[in-house]
Amino acid sequence: MTATPEAQPGLWRRLTSGYAKLLELMLAACVGILIFPVTLQIISRYTALIPSYIWTEEMARFLFVWTIMIGAMLGVREAQHFEVDVWPELSRRAEAAVRIVARLGILAFALVFVWAGIEFTRFAWHRTSELADLPLWLIHVAWPVAGFTWIAFAGEQIVDEMRVLLGGKAQ
Amino acid sequence: MTGNVLSTGQAALVLFGTFAALLALRIPVAFALGLACLPILLIEPRLSMMMLAQETFNAYNSFILLAVPFFLLTANLMSIGGITDRLVTLSKALVGHWPGSLAQINVVLSVFFAGISGSSTADAASQSKIFIDAQTKEGYDLSFSIAITAVSSVLAVVIPPSILMIVWGGLISTSIGAMYLAGIVPGLLIAGAQMLTVHLYAVRRGYPTYPKSSWRDMQCAVWHSLPALMTPFIIVGGILLGWFTATESACAAVLYSIALSALVYREIGRKELYRALLDTGRLASVALFCVGTASAFGWLLAFYKIPEGLLANVSTWGMGPIAAGFFIAFCFLVVGCFLDAIPAIIIVGTVLEPLARSVDLHPVQFAIVSIVSLAFGLVTPPYGLCLMIACSVAGVRLRYAVKDTVIMLIPMLLVLAALIIWPSVSLFLPRLLVPHMLK
Repeated sequence: MTATPEAQPGLWRRLTSGYAKLLELMLAACVGILIFPVTLQIISRYTALIPSYIWTEEMARFLFVWTIMIGAMLGVREAQHFEVDVWPELSRRAEAAVRIVARLGILAFALVFVWAGIEFTRFAWHRTSELADLPLWLIHVAWPVAGFTWIAFAGEQIVDEMRVLLGGKAQ
Repeated sequence: MTGNVLSTGQAALVLFGTFAALLALRIPVAFALGLACLPILLIEPRLSMMMLAQETFNAYNSFILLAVPFFLLTANLMSIGGITDRLVTLSKALVGHWPGSLAQINVVLSVFFAGISGSSTADAASQSKIFIDAQTKEGYDLSFSIAITAVSSVLAVVIPPSILMIVWGGLISTSIGAMYLAGIVPGLLIAGAQMLTVHLYAVRRGYPTYPKSSWRDMQCAVWHSLPALMTPFIIVGGILLGWFTATESACAAVLYSIALSALVYREIGRKELYRALLDTGRLASVALFCVGTASAFGWLLAFYKIPEGLLANVSTWGMGPIAAGFFIAFCFLVVGCFLDAIPAIIIVGTVLEPLARSVDLHPVQFAIVSIVSLAFGLVTPPYGLCLMIACSVAGVRLRYAVKDTVIMLIPMLLVLAALIIWPSVSLFLPRLLVPHMLK
């Protein structure tokens, strides 16, 4: 995942698109699973069918954190993160230049997440959650993972836009 | 002042300046907010970049925000599960014989949808697909069709349930139940203003009108959509009666819509379900990721006491509640042009809250005025999310539909002014039904 995007177009592209498919699957699964702990929480309060588990709330929150992070990773690949559009209609090349600058911003933020995220994960290494005793690094590790993923996805887009900018064939 | 390297003014300049510059470079809002924190974190020795990870984590690790994906999922399940079709039929039976039929149906469907889903973006996405093409085929102007679809989608966050009210309640402790009730009348008034606008457009431009539905059709339509129309009562009622927390009520709505789609209307397959889950995940996390970086940004504002600095002048103006109400609405309308509603609440809502308190503006009225202003921000350029969605479905650029959108906003702004001038417009229902929640 840390390899530079330029390395091998064919294999690299297949890898990242496979990775994106995997993320999609995980994202849908996360959203689906999220329903369960909250439902359990409601059922346990109003019926005697199951004991009122105290970990449902925490499990829901942690799964939710991962949901957001995975979605944010995919959002970069699919350019879904919202932008403010104040530019007039640009030529394809100028557009590519603007996009490269924007992607460089994402790249910079990705580096912050990698750096701060590794620290963040190390910091949680020996700690567990309050209610369910889950190892906290399992959640904190989403930050460096997101950082690396953004580097891969945004890097790929920068390469594409570079091709357009330098007059190659538009993809 | 307390050993910080930067003064309040300097920090404000760096934060807002960097943010604006990054936005102009078309860096996505969520990333621009995070990056704008960076210079401060590098300059100030007591802060580190770890704070960005910690603050984003704290923002996402929230049971209240969990309601957001549930609301979106309910909306998505409704549109794939055949519920929307029934509601369209019902809307048609109700207002189909008025001038500009299809556009009136568009608004009324938004009202129904608003009672089921709490997300304007979900409403804009699904209704753009239903209406824009259909309206242009019937001879409506494209820019009118885009504009009415976008402006009617803002109802979703004004009429309960509402994602914005949940975020507001979580951040600026205000009763979510009271806000839900307080949003009903303003929401219906805004819908009324929109239907009036459609009427005037339709008469002037000669948009088509359908024949009146028979009484029998009307009864059928009501009967078929009755189960779907129960959803708002489950959500709002469940909260008011103390059965559910806000998040649980959103989850209950999901379960109810699954049950409806799978058992009553029987129009849901495995593939559609996967799509619904994935779309929900995409939309929810892109919207919520921004909450994290906005929280970090807001945290730094608070760290340097920038809100106090900004409001120091304002409090000397000697405003009464009405003037303060207009000032608050103005702030949110301007901010709403550049920011999404949830980060705007996080950053600006907390800034204005002391002002509202100091002039004795009722917290619930403050919330509703702010949320309605922010809802309008969803269709104001350059950053009007719902308008952007409608335009992208139609395949045109944002500015194409701006003129009609602005025309439609004028009557809506009058409703907002009424909300500010007469507190009882919003407070009437909660005072009547849940006076204890207003304390």
